[in-house]
Amino acid sequence: MLHLKPHNLLVQKTLTEALEAYNNGSPLTLDRIISDYDYTTLHITNDDGDKSSLLVSIRTKATQSCNETGSDLKGFLEQKFEEAPGLALSGDKKEAGYDFTVTVNLSQITAESIVQVSLFKILVMSYPFYLAFGQSTHFSQLNEVDQVEKSKEATAMVIKYRDDENIYIKPSFDRVTVIFETIFQDETDKVFGKVFLQEFVDARKRNRFIQSAPQVLFSHEPPLEIQQVARQHASTAADKKSSRRFITFVLFPRHYASDELMFTSISQLALFRNYFHYHIKCAKAYMHSRMRYRVDTFIKVLNRAKVDDEGESESRRTFTGRKMVY
Amino acid sequence: MSQSLRPYLTAVRFSLQAALNLSNFSSQEVERHNRPEVEVGNTSAELLLQPMHIARNEHEQVLIEPSVNSVRMSIKVKQADEIEQILVHKFTNFLEQRAENFYVLRRVPVPGYSISFLITNKHTETMITEKLIEFIIDFMEEVDKEISEMKLFLNARARFAAEAYLEQFVY
Amino acid sequence: MSYLNNPAVVMDNGTGLTKLGFAGNDSPSWVFPTAIATAQSGKSSGTGSKTSGFGASATAQSSYVSGGGNSTSATDFNSLASSTLISNNLAGKRGTEDLDFYIGNEALVASQGPSYSLSYPIRHGQVENWDHMERFWENSIFKYLRTEPEDHFFLLTEPPLNPPENRQQVAEIFFESFNCAGLYIAVQAVLALAASWTSSKVTDRSLTGTVIDSGDGVTHVIPVAEGYVIGSAIKNIPIAGRDITLFIQSLLRERGEQDASLRVAERIKQEYCYVCPDIVKEFNKFDRDTEKFAQFIVENKEKTSRKVVDVGYERFLAPEIFFNPEIASSDFLTPLPVVVDETIQACPIDVRKGLYNNIVLSGGSTMFKDFGRRLQRDLKGIVNDRIAQSEKLSGTRSTGVDVSVISHKRQRNAVWFGGSLLAQTGEFKSYCHTKQDYEEYGPDIVRNFSLFNMI
Repeated sequence: MLHLKPHNLLVQKTLTEALEAYNNGSPLTLDRIISDYDYTTLHITNDDGDKSSLLVSIRTKATQSCNETGSDLKGFLEQKFEEAPGLALSGDKKEAGYDFTVTVNLSQITAESIVQVSLFKILVMSYPFYLAFGQSTHFSQLNEVDQVEKSKEATAMVIKYRDDENIYIKPSFDRVTVIFETIFQDETDKVFGKVFLQEFVDARKRNRFIQSAPQVLFSHEPPLEIQQVARQHASTAADKKSSRRFITFVLFPRHYASDELMFTSISQLALFRNYFHYHIKCAKAYMHSRMRYRVDTFIKVLNRAKVDDEGESESRRTFTGRKMVY
Repeated sequence: MSQSLRPYLTAVRFSLQAALNLSNFSSQEVERHNRPEVEVGNTSAELLLQPMHIARNEHEQVLIEPSVNSVRMSIKVKQADEIEQILVHKFTNFLEQRAENFYVLRRVPVPGYSISFLITNKHTETMITEKLIEFIIDFMEEVDKEISEMKLFLNARARFAAEAYLEQFVY
Repeated sequence: MSYLNNPAVVMDNGTGLTKLGFAGNDSPSWVFPTAIATAQSGKSSGTGSKTSGFGASATAQSSYVSGGGNSTSATDFNSLASSTLISNNLAGKRGTEDLDFYIGNEALVASQGPSYSLSYPIRHGQVENWDHMERFWENSIFKYLRTEPEDHFFLLTEPPLNPPENRQQVAEIFFESFNCAGLYIAVQAVLALAASWTSSKVTDRSLTGTVIDSGDGVTHVIPVAEGYVIGSAIKNIPIAGRDITLFIQSLLRERGEQDASLRVAERIKQEYCYVCPDIVKEFNKFDRDTEKFAQFIVENKEKTSRKVVDVGYERFLAPEIFFNPEIASSDFLTPLPVVVDETIQACPIDVRKGLYNNIVLSGGSTMFKDFGRRLQRDLKGIVNDRIAQSEKLSGTRSTGVDVSVISHKRQRNAVWFGGSLLAQTGEFKSYCHTKQDYEEYGPDIVRNFSLFNMI
């Protein structure tokens, strides 16, 4: 597996099974917890008394900060789910302990709506991205002086999607800058991560096929765009400052020219951290198998040194080659 | 093989040959004990021989500590940068985890070195000394090769992952 | 630390099937074969299984070490990643074939093509090929469960008598490769006992009992005393799900049914079979009452052809091979209740009562209707005979031994379910070894896990 998919396979499978069972006339009784990256928990349950609908609730670390970036995260999600048949964000009866609840009407949903539900986490995280893209487009339509002025004024939005790692998004009239703050707990990961991040920076320069990809920058200090915002949040992890790295993606208007492009860009970006942690882990796994192989060859060499301790002359053998036991 | 590696390995080989002259020797201090004298930490000149220190450069060194019934040999593997340090650490750890299979591998390296071997008279009695030395020389060559290959792999993989990721943004 | 709110991941990797899921759920989220399909190419066999790869030859070795040159697999992989833009560029890149694999059902599908070869990394309950297992876990975690292992605690299972070295290898993979937050490795039989706590018959929630674990390949009888497996007394029976299916198939063939495929036999096993109290009486019942016979209808996908397969005596005969093995096999003749009795008799005398008292079923082949009831009756018979004899010989009164076999709703995935139960308790995380512990003490740490207290 090379790429991580934006949708949650397990949500998709569970809902598909529920739909099948419903269509066969024997609705499932569900009470499932499903997990997703970055402290996200989904909960699928039956709606009380109504066999034809399911409730899917989500709780994710990013919700609060996404909510703060704009005024209407709920409205945004409502609209996203309304587009697909059979889905509705339940405004008033959201499940206790969860951030949002979607009611899935099994008698109406299609395969597309199931995918939409399985994108729940990405949808929550996409809200600030959409806002930023919107602002950027808005700025670009202003006159030249205002463009620069407004872009300067625009503050970076923060998604606190993990304990001490944040995503910063800063819109400007000709670009949207997305900055990931990364921190490594593990010594090995720190070093490997550095190699990986460096390659992200170099990849675009080296490979002419991906020239049109966003520009990637890497720094130890918070980049200028977010210095003000970053300072406010830095207090929590001041002691870990040394291992803090910033990786910046500069998105150009071509990356958010249409709704479809926006969404693919967002889902890739939202998975960036998971993607490269996944690949660090794969690299370590591959090294393990190399080392296992090495151990085997070393042992083979060492065993050549062993003297055959079964004194061949002492044990007698029968005609058929069996050993005689006294 | 580079110019200076050959003499380095040859020096290690001959020093080991000289050192691996072991005999069964009972402890002088504890009755009915027979322990590798090099590990015990006594200073008796008749039991502990002069250690040999072979250095190719400051990163690659070998320390051979002979004694009457055991030889402790420690290798410092080349670690040019942070990545190699981690890789050497990972690799030697991995080997030390499987020390039982290696008979002569010490579970903990001597301070200042990457990996240590402890060869006792028991080992030289059940193994052909010449082949044992061959294993160690082979090990020294292979470790360097393996580390640099792993490093190359890491870079290649990082590049591959990065390009594959950015490629998704090419519309 | 917010990972405290994340549900623990419960993974039960068996010889045949892997069950994956999150603690707190009542059934595993994923159940699929423990199979992995790896990219196949003649030259990179060094990465392959031990049997074919490692022993091969110097050429295999050199290509492994140099890691390159096998253009076939690399190009396949790129077309798979649908990257037309950079395929030329990446085709020559080395060391990507280790990402090119599938697990579970996808592996079965992929292996039908020419470019993948299928292998099963677990044999007889124990991991044989660690390279494949590591990648199997990698894909399980990132693709199927979608979790960042750094944020979750993991509960893994192991068979009884698993060598501690294997545990260390597991720890090495989970802590070093995956950086998982915490790890607990539990013995399958103990989890099966814990799963039985959901049954209304269980009152005391102890970890003492006999587990009868019958899957597809083999049936184990495992005595557990206070959370510890009594290894010396474990017994295996070479009769399990597959033998029942084969037996049904042979009966169908003898009768000359229209369709006697293995698949049909398996469906019949799952849908129609039950355990009867007495075969002779059951035969009579069938002869008197033709309604007992059933019909199984095989339709092909397009619903164009219909085959009707009669289902007769095999309904009760098939599971009967547990109790009268001579009807199906000629080399294993000890009935299950006798084996259970022998197992318990091989245990220390002071735990035997507890073992008779709490016989727990686990695995798909114990799902037959009335399986537990029949086992309990037969075992009671054996035990009572022994008591009667010893009373006669010694002239004293025995206080009696209570035999009870517990069947419950979660039998099929009992091990996984037990894991899910334990891993959702508040104390679970305090029993785990964390990444910090591992780094401080090394892999040896996983040789010991504290047992769950009885709640």
